[in-house]
Amino acid sequence: MSKYLDLSIKEIHELLVDKKITPLDLVDEALERIEENKDLNAFITINDKVREEASALGEVEPDNIFFGIPIAVKDNIVTKDLKTTCASHILDNFIPIYDATIVEKLKENKLLIIGKANMDEFAMGSTSETSYFGTPLNPHDKKRTAGGSSGGSATAISGGLVPLALGSDTGGSIRQPASYTGIVGMKPTYGRISRYGLVAFASSLDQIGPMTRTVYENAALLNILVGEDDKDLTSVKKEKEDFTRLIGKDIKGMKIALPKYFVSDIVDEEISKRIKEVISFLKENGATVDIVDMKYLDTAVNLYQIIAMAEASSNLARFDGIRYGYRATSFNNVDSMYEKTRGEGFGDEVKRRIMVGSYILSGENAKTYYDKALMVRDDITKEFNRIFKDYDLIIGPTTTRVAPLLGTSKDDPHKAFMDDVLVIPVNMAGLPGLSVPVGKSSENLPIGLHIIGKAFDEATIYRLASFIEEVF
Amino acid sequence: MDKLSREEVLHVAHLARISLTEEEIEKFRVQLKVLMDDIDKIKEVKDYDDEMMFTPIEENARLREDVVGDMLTAKEAISNAPKKNGSFIEVPVMINE
Amino acid sequence: MSEFIPTIGLEVHVEIKSKSKLFSSSANSYGMATNTSVNVVDLGYPGTLPTVNKEIIRQGIRACKVLNCNITRKMHFDRKNYFYPDNPKNYQITQNRTPIGTDGYVEIEVDGIKKKIGISDIHIEEDTCKSAHRGSVSLLDFNRAGVPLIEIVTEPCISNGKEAMAYLTKLKELLFYANISDCKMEEGSMRCDANVSISKDENMGTRTETKNISSIHNVGLAIEKEIARQEEVLNNNGIIKEETRRFDDKLGETILMRVKETGNDYRYFIEPDIPYLVITDEFINDSLKTLPLLPDELREKYSKIGLSSLQIEKLINNRPLNDYFLGLLEFKTNYVTAVNLLLSDVSSYLNKHNKVITDTHLSYEKLVSVIDNLESGALSNKNVKDLIDSLMENDLTIEELKKEFKIENITDDRFIEDIITKVIENNTESVNDYKNGHDRALKYLMGQVMKETKGTVNPKKASDMLKEALNK
Repeated sequence: MSKYLDLSIKEIHELLVDKKITPLDLVDEALERIEENKDLNAFITINDKVREEASALGEVEPDNIFFGIPIAVKDNIVTKDLKTTCASHILDNFIPIYDATIVEKLKENKLLIIGKANMDEFAMGSTSETSYFGTPLNPHDKKRTAGGSSGGSATAISGGLVPLALGSDTGGSIRQPASYTGIVGMKPTYGRISRYGLVAFASSLDQIGPMTRTVYENAALLNILVGEDDKDLTSVKKEKEDFTRLIGKDIKGMKIALPKYFVSDIVDEEISKRIKEVISFLKENGATVDIVDMKYLDTAVNLYQIIAMAEASSNLARFDGIRYGYRATSFNNVDSMYEKTRGEGFGDEVKRRIMVGSYILSGENAKTYYDKALMVRDDITKEFNRIFKDYDLIIGPTTTRVAPLLGTSKDDPHKAFMDDVLVIPVNMAGLPGLSVPVGKSSENLPIGLHIIGKAFDEATIYRLASFIEEVF
Repeated sequence: MDKLSREEVLHVAHLARISLTEEEIEKFRVQLKVLMDDIDKIKEVKDYDDEMMFTPIEENARLREDVVGDMLTAKEAISNAPKKNGSFIEVPVMINE
Repeated sequence: MSEFIPTIGLEVHVEIKSKSKLFSSSANSYGMATNTSVNVVDLGYPGTLPTVNKEIIRQGIRACKVLNCNITRKMHFDRKNYFYPDNPKNYQITQNRTPIGTDGYVEIEVDGIKKKIGISDIHIEEDTCKSAHRGSVSLLDFNRAGVPLIEIVTEPCISNGKEAMAYLTKLKELLFYANISDCKMEEGSMRCDANVSISKDENMGTRTETKNISSIHNVGLAIEKEIARQEEVLNNNGIIKEETRRFDDKLGETILMRVKETGNDYRYFIEPDIPYLVITDEFINDSLKTLPLLPDELREKYSKIGLSSLQIEKLINNRPLNDYFLGLLEFKTNYVTAVNLLLSDVSSYLNKHNKVITDTHLSYEKLVSVIDNLESGALSNKNVKDLIDSLMENDLTIEELKKEFKIENITDDRFIEDIITKVIENNTESVNDYKNGHDRALKYLMGQVMKETKGTVNPKKASDMLKEALNK
């Protein structure tokens, strides 16, 4: 079996330019790997036209380093004529009639969408166990979770099935699975990447991001994903920049903050220990790392629950069996059509969240919970800005523990949120955050370092991440 | 164990238009209570100012020029609908009209 | 027993004129084939996002101006959540907390008494889709989904049906003249709900809402009927329930649709997909630049140039003719004569042929030349009547028309002189009366001249010549 997909993107690109291999070779290798690792459950749908698309590229000159490279796309990003399920029964037969802006960008750059990656249903969950299509497994230990909600994307990269994947991150859903599976996952600044075509979970928190094997490939992929989109008013216009430009630079003089909360007793000892090793290494190399107090970090999960569930209850109202998706077969009237369709179509986690979300917005509750959460959210954002007046980056562990065993958080509605306790604050403030592997635990499971940057300063995150990546 | 009443569960289920089986009602009496206790913790936050952040975007909303763009054919528009009727999408009769 | 005092508030929805819809770029047009004026945004497809049509914000600002409202300078949109098949996302994007306009008024006059009807707020929102009912099913056409609306809400300060009708008539006139809406109640581009309560004291009674009344006349009727119904209920010791009713114009009464649930739970929250909208002075000025003259401004202007109030009202009631006449004001001519002509021969022609004036060949230059000819006596009113079809339908000049219709005789002085001589010879008695100072005799002689010429001479010219002959 060929091993082209284990090469770096740069190396694959050279082979393609020299006509030593074709995009079809890469696609066939990826399809073979996916088939051999079917038990990993990384994909919900394989693109049955991908070989055709790869063949069509055979005649074209490679024009960028991602030309002809297979990529996995999380199944909550709509792809024209390619089934998009959000890992839900309610959309299990849904064929979108348009492409997400991000998918258009992939196509413009001639990446090949190999398939749609498994995930938690509507991205709600932290272990991908809420998927209607089975659970993706952690390639490092198949009894363990690959994390969630972008678990399938993480599995696909970590298992070597494809070199590139897209995930989405509402409350850690890129970074936490990246940490659990030992890959690089970036949630860019809110507004960096168009959300048009990302099936909304919590509109004010959702952001698409790249998941890759290396920091460089992550930054390079981000280069082609970003940009203002006329179809998304929450996408932001920024000067074009090369996110790889600081990679390879040293970290002398860098000012880094470590919030006390991120190394408090909520974090497993082994992980805290590793973070301390990272800090020593950074200091040795000329960076300053200060432990700082940050208010509100411990409220972030609470804010997240309120904001995400409230927005989700509204965003998911459109799944009603009228214009698309599953419709129940027996009902007496409009209301029972809604209730049966949604009762049969949604899984437990989704039902819980949209019921509680509806409750949060109901009558006076909207003031008590939602408005107040938005107020504290503003304060947490100001708190981040305060720290960033004095520091370039904030670091901490991505997760409090290594990838847990599957089945341990099912039916515990509270636990699903606590897995993301360290990554959620970033979504509140809309900041960029990345998880980079920093070695393994005693059980040989990956540990991730979480690096948070100033708004729209992804380049500095990549600078530190690549420096660390070289060593750990 | 702390639970919601059946009626409380059915009320939020109706708000969200979700039918529940008896088994689910019982399960959610416990599980929804856990989540409602979680969100109640917001009440403990005392030190905050009243400016609300509903989006991280600080820029003003861009406005679209008033120009007609691409539209779907009727066939495309109803292509995913579970129940079609000619060029229409069909639903059970709407009672409130 | 003291009298009940009614309190009435109106909620009026008008469709705003624009090329594209409020939150999507599909066409805002009436009467297109089923489900062809739609895109994925209007259908509430997963992953789609709203964009905001600049022209609608401008129209909103214009509406604020003509309805004397304060313009909200920093606003956002809100989601109103409710499940209904005509509501594609199962939430409607509207303005709940920051309506574009507040605290306005419309001045009405009823039985010679002026009154300001207070407007509490006007807000921008999207329309629902259209449904048709066929037995046990309803059919959905999404062309109207997302069409821009302004909702105008009055204070509860209207006292009776007559005031309500005067308010609606004025509102319609204002919005129509400002080019904000067609305000066609029969096509649904203007819809009115009436909230009615009655009470004998300061405390407001329980109110009912009568929905979707189909004409201004019926609004007046529905209100009076509803007041009468409530009085009867209360006089029989009954209780008014908070309920939604409709007006049946065949039965001539309001009919119960549904009793309101304990307060509608719309679960409003701020629309996170649309950032804040800040309205600058520049944007306001720019929006108001294209605001045409409004009826009251026209009334003032027209009365200054000497039009009668009857002429003024007739002009204002005929928008195309009014707009044409406004253009004529750029030319120097006798405007009173022009309006007479426009409201008589021109209007008859237009009505007969079912045309609007801009569809005809009556250029301003030609009209001015007709008026000049009338003034100088070269054409008589009768001539114009005879020539009207040609004036409206071809590009011949007046001189060419006169030639073609052989009208030059009529202005021939000798021809008129001959007639006058004949009349003087045959009416010696009247001639003597005139010479003895009886003015009435002149009128009689003039009548004889017109009779002899069958009305084909210019009366002014003939009258001048007659006087001259008599005074010889």
